[in-house]
Amino acid sequence: MSTTDAAATTAVSVQNVRKVYQRDSLQIKVLDGINLDIPQGEFVALMGPSGSGKTTLLNLIAGIDRVTSGRVVVAGTDLGPLSEGELAKWRSRNIGFIFQFYNLIPVLSAVENVELPLLLTSLSKRERRERAMTALRIVGLADRSKHYPRQLSGGQEQRVAIARAVVTDPTVLVADEPTGDLDHQSAEEILTLMETFNKDFHKTILMVTHDPRAATRAHIQHHLDKGVLSN
Amino acid sequence: MKFAPLVLKHLRKNWVRTLSTVLAMSVCILLFCTLQTVVEAVNFGLHAGNASRLVTRNNISLVYNLPMTYKAKIAAIPGVTGTVINAWFGGIYRDPKYFFANIATEPEAFLEAYPEVMLTPDQKEAWFHDRRGCIVGRKLAQHFGWKVGDTFEMESTIPPYRVGHPFEFVIDGIYDTDEAKYPATDLNSMYFQYKYLDETTGRKIGIGWLVESIDDPKHAGAISKAIDDEFENSDTATKTETEQAFQAGFVAMAGNLAFLLNGIGLAVAFTILLVTANTMSIAVRERQQEIGVLKTLGFSSGLVMTLILSEALLIGVLGGLVGILISAAILHVLPNVPVLGNIVAGFPNFGLSPQTTATGVGIALLLGLLAGFVPAMTGYRARITETLRQV
Repeated sequence: MSTTDAAATTAVSVQNVRKVYQRDSLQIKVLDGINLDIPQGEFVALMGPSGSGKTTLLNLIAGIDRVTSGRVVVAGTDLGPLSEGELAKWRSRNIGFIFQFYNLIPVLSAVENVELPLLLTSLSKRERRERAMTALRIVGLADRSKHYPRQLSGGQEQRVAIARAVVTDPTVLVADEPTGDLDHQSAEEILTLMETFNKDFHKTILMVTHDPRAATRAHIQHHLDKGVLSN
Repeated sequence: MKFAPLVLKHLRKNWVRTLSTVLAMSVCILLFCTLQTVVEAVNFGLHAGNASRLVTRNNISLVYNLPMTYKAKIAAIPGVTGTVINAWFGGIYRDPKYFFANIATEPEAFLEAYPEVMLTPDQKEAWFHDRRGCIVGRKLAQHFGWKVGDTFEMESTIPPYRVGHPFEFVIDGIYDTDEAKYPATDLNSMYFQYKYLDETTGRKIGIGWLVESIDDPKHAGAISKAIDDEFENSDTATKTETEQAFQAGFVAMAGNLAFLLNGIGLAVAFTILLVTANTMSIAVRERQQEIGVLKTLGFSSGLVMTLILSEALLIGVLGGLVGILISAAILHVLPNVPVLGNIVAGFPNFGLSPQTTATGVGIALLLGLLAGFVPAMTGYRARITETLRQV
C-alpha cells in the first residue's frame, strides 16, 4: 500500500503526542509520546487503568482538547492549526461523541436531543426532524421520540445519545465508557448497536472502556498505562 | 430562530425562578415608568407657563390676597398691556377625591390673556353675560359627563368664601385648545366669574393673584421689578415673577419628591440588576455540563454566549412588558385614588408617554443584557474538558 493510500484509509493518526497539564507550579505528564493509527471503518477499544490518560487521548482525537506537542490528524485534518471556532465547526461535521453518563439535555425530548447537532447545519426544520427520527428508528426508539430523558431508562438514554452522535453522519465515533453506567443487558444492547454502526454503516469507532468484555467487541484493543501506549 | 425552543425550554423548566426574576425586573420597570411619568408631569408644569405673562401675588404667601386697588396701579406700569384678577376658590365637587382647580376670574380679560383657552363665540358671549356662568376644560367635562347648560353646586373650603350654602354654577362653555400649539394647556380646570364670588361673599375679598400680560417677554425682569418696587414700602408687598416661575413654585415640592423617588428607583434598579445577574449566574452554573455538551457537539463559544444572553434578554423583555402594563394600569387609576388623585390632578396630560414606555423597554433590555453578561462570558470561556469533568 502506498503512503497516499494509507493516508486515505487512516481515519485517525496520532503522531508522537505529549500532553502535560499545568496545575499551579506542578506539571502533570498525562500522555508521553503516543503514536496511534486507526484505519477507516475500524472498531478500536482503548483500555487502561484510571488515570492512564485514556479519556485525555480520546479528547485530543475528538478535538476538544489540545496537544502539548505532537500531531493529531483526524479525517484528513490536522487539528493543531485550527482555531477554537474552526475546531467547533470541524467537530460538528466529523465527530460523534458518546458520553458515559449520556449527557442528554434534560429540557429537550428525545427527538429534540437528537436534532440538536443538526441545528448547526442549514437543514430545514422538517429535514432536521426527519433525520432525527431516522436516527431514533435505527436505535429502536422511534416510539419514544417525545419522551424526556427523565422518562427513559439508562439504556434508552444511551441509545438516544448514540442517535445524537450519528445523526450528522460523522466520520469518527468516539465513546467514553459508553457502558460504564449501564446494567449488563443494557450494556450488551449498546455494544451491539455500536457494532451495527461499525459493520453496517462503516463508522470508525474509538471506545474507551474499563470493561474487558466490552473491549472484546472491538476489532483492535490498545492498552494505555501511565500515558504510554502498548498493544 | 431555530435555537428559540432551546432558550424557551430552559426558561420554562425553572418557571418559578423565571417568574420571580421577571417579576423583580417588572418591579424595576414599573417604578421607573411611574416615577418618570411623575417627573415628566412636573417638568411639563414647569414649562407650561407663558413667557409673556407675569403673576403678582402677596409677598408673604399666596394664602393672603392683594388689595383690589393694586389692579389699577399695576395696569399703569409701563410694559403692562393687560391684567386679570384671579382667586383660588378651593371648591369641592361631590367628593374630595375628585379634585380639580376652580378659579374665579374676569372672563373677558382672562380669554384675552389666555389665547390657548378656546371657546366658541356663542359660549364666550354666554359666559360674559352670565353671573353664575363658568367654563370647564374638555377633559374635566368628559370626566363628569358635563354638557353646556348643565348646572352643579360647589362649596368652598376657604373660610372667607363659605357663605352657608353652596355656590351654583351654570356651564356656559367647554373650553379646548390647539394641542399642537399649546401642548401644556390644562384641560382639567374650571373658571367662573370673579364678580359672582365677590358679590356672593359680600365682602372685599381682594385679589388672589393678578396675571399681567406684557408687551415683550424680554422686559419680564424689569417689569416684575417695577411692580414689586411700587409696593415695596406698603403694608402688602408683592412678589412678581413669570408665570413659569410661579408654576414652578407649585411644583417644586413635587419636583423634590420626584428626585427622591427617582433615587430610590435607581437603588431598586441596581439591586434588581444584582439579583437578576445572580439568578442568571446560578442558572448557568447549574448548566456547566450542558454547556460542555453543546460545545462538544460543535456549538461555538459565541453561540453558547448568545444563547445565554438571549435568555437574559428575554427575561428583561418580559419583565419590561409586565412592568409597563402594571405601570399603565396604576397611572390610569391613580387620578381616582383619594389623596394621590388630588396631587396628580394638578398635572395636565398625566399618563404614560410613548417616550417613557420606550425608555422602560430600553432599560429592561439593558438590565437583561448586563445581568446576562457575566454568566454569558462564563459560558463563553468554559472549557469542554473542565465542564465535562464536573459530571
